[in-house]
Amino acid sequence: MFLAFALITLLGALGMLLQKNIIVAGLFMVAAFFGIAGLFVLLANPVAAALQLIVYSGAIMVLVLFVIMMLSSHEEEAAQASHPIQRWLSLLLALALAAGGVKLVMASKGVQMLASRGAAVPPAVTLQGVGAVLFEGHLLGFEVAGLMLLAAMVGAVALTKRNL
Amino acid sequence: MDTLASLLHTSPAIAWMGVKIVIVFSAVMLLASVWTWVERRGAAMIQDRIGPNRAALFGKIRILGLAQLLADGIKFFFKEDLEPTDANKGLFWLAPFLAFVPAMMGFAIIPFGRDFTSGGHVYHLSVLDPGNGMGMLYPLAIGGLAVYGVLVAAWSSNNKWSILGGMRSSATMVSYEIGMSLAVVSLFMTTGGYDPSEIIAAQGHLPWHWNVVPQFLGFIVFFTCMFAETNRLPFDFAEGESEIVAGFNTEYGSMKFSLLALAEYAHLMTASALVATLYFGGWQVPFVAHPSVGLSILSFLIKMLFFAWVFVWIRWTLPRFRYDQLMHLGWKAMLPLSMLNLIVHAWLMSHGR
Repeated sequence: MFLAFALITLLGALGMLLQKNIIVAGLFMVAAFFGIAGLFVLLANPVAAALQLIVYSGAIMVLVLFVIMMLSSHEEEAAQASHPIQRWLSLLLALALAAGGVKLVMASKGVQMLASRGAAVPPAVTLQGVGAVLFEGHLLGFEVAGLMLLAAMVGAVALTKRNL
Repeated sequence: MDTLASLLHTSPAIAWMGVKIVIVFSAVMLLASVWTWVERRGAAMIQDRIGPNRAALFGKIRILGLAQLLADGIKFFFKEDLEPTDANKGLFWLAPFLAFVPAMMGFAIIPFGRDFTSGGHVYHLSVLDPGNGMGMLYPLAIGGLAVYGVLVAAWSSNNKWSILGGMRSSATMVSYEIGMSLAVVSLFMTTGGYDPSEIIAAQGHLPWHWNVVPQFLGFIVFFTCMFAETNRLPFDFAEGESEIVAGFNTEYGSMKFSLLALAEYAHLMTASALVATLYFGGWQVPFVAHPSVGLSILSFLIKMLFFAWVFVWIRWTLPRFRYDQLMHLGWKAMLPLSMLNLIVHAWLMSHGR
């Protein structure tokens, strides 16, 4: 199961990068999101999986594709002249990021616990649990995020609708 | 169940899962295809016509034109499979599947009968057992994925009418999803749980305790949004045959079109099952506290098919909205009503009622 979802995620991400057609690339990205949602389910966090699908695949990507369809035509974009230095630099940065990520995961508490106690399936995260944590431990962050979203929304309306 | 499991060399749990998947898949498929017939006969009834009644098995047995289904199926199979020259071939092939798979998947969470115990095992009558942590978020997530079928079909056809239809329908779905989710959230709040089986258990067997009575506003919003989600008239802007030929499925023929049409009806079945589960007590039988399994399944089927019929009924009664009216209704009527429902119930709960 893990391999299947990991493959979906990786192939989706690769397809998104390599595909020249922008809409097909967007669909590959949806596939990658789907794979990530599957990985969340395997990590006993179905709430995150559902939210991943609802928010990213169901709303954000639809809007992105919608805008692309509305603005651009069907032609594939011509490739720009490639800069070799960019390629090497980006490869270096990606490698550094990957090494850092792996190091961080290997040093984390969860992995050490896994080594000492073996893998046990934790109880699944529930929506009630997420709500309780949000409102007990992170109330300030939650409120600030809400306020920021509101500000963003008001800003978007103010920018687009000048004569209300 | 144990004998079946031992015959197949698996555990009873896995065998039961397989049986459930087969039951649900075939039932939804069967109902969806029968509903194409119900739709045409219902339209004929409402418009004072006769409707399809000529197709007959072996030239004799007419059964009210039900053989039309078989005739349609055979016709779709043998029709030439055309695709437009400028279409994006891969996506053009993929789109019917992208439409069909989410439509079938959505039903998995819905309990279609009460649990029963046999031989020490508890058997749940829903493909995903209760307590899986996804609960009612699952149909919302799958509903979000359903947009892609229409969107991909529209774009890959490479046809301006199709793209118009696809864009309209994706905009509709995204804007109505918010009102729908808020209506469901207020149900989570009053139930104290988000698993469909918890929601059903909390409603009890008395019809005036079902969610439709305290949350009538939520029901109206949810049901309206279901029309937008399933792309049916009065909100079928993906098709809109008087404006944009046939919208997203203009270029589709043969079995591909058939899959798109079946996906619409499977979606309709899931939507009516959701309405029955959330607002009308699911498998609860009115005034019977502990119904038998068969009775509970029957009760669920009756409720679900009633709402499926309401979908057909409304389709042939109301005219199509104009696009700006649709957006107006979605953002300026449904969303505030849904908010109001949420706030009123939060207020009532905080005052201990």
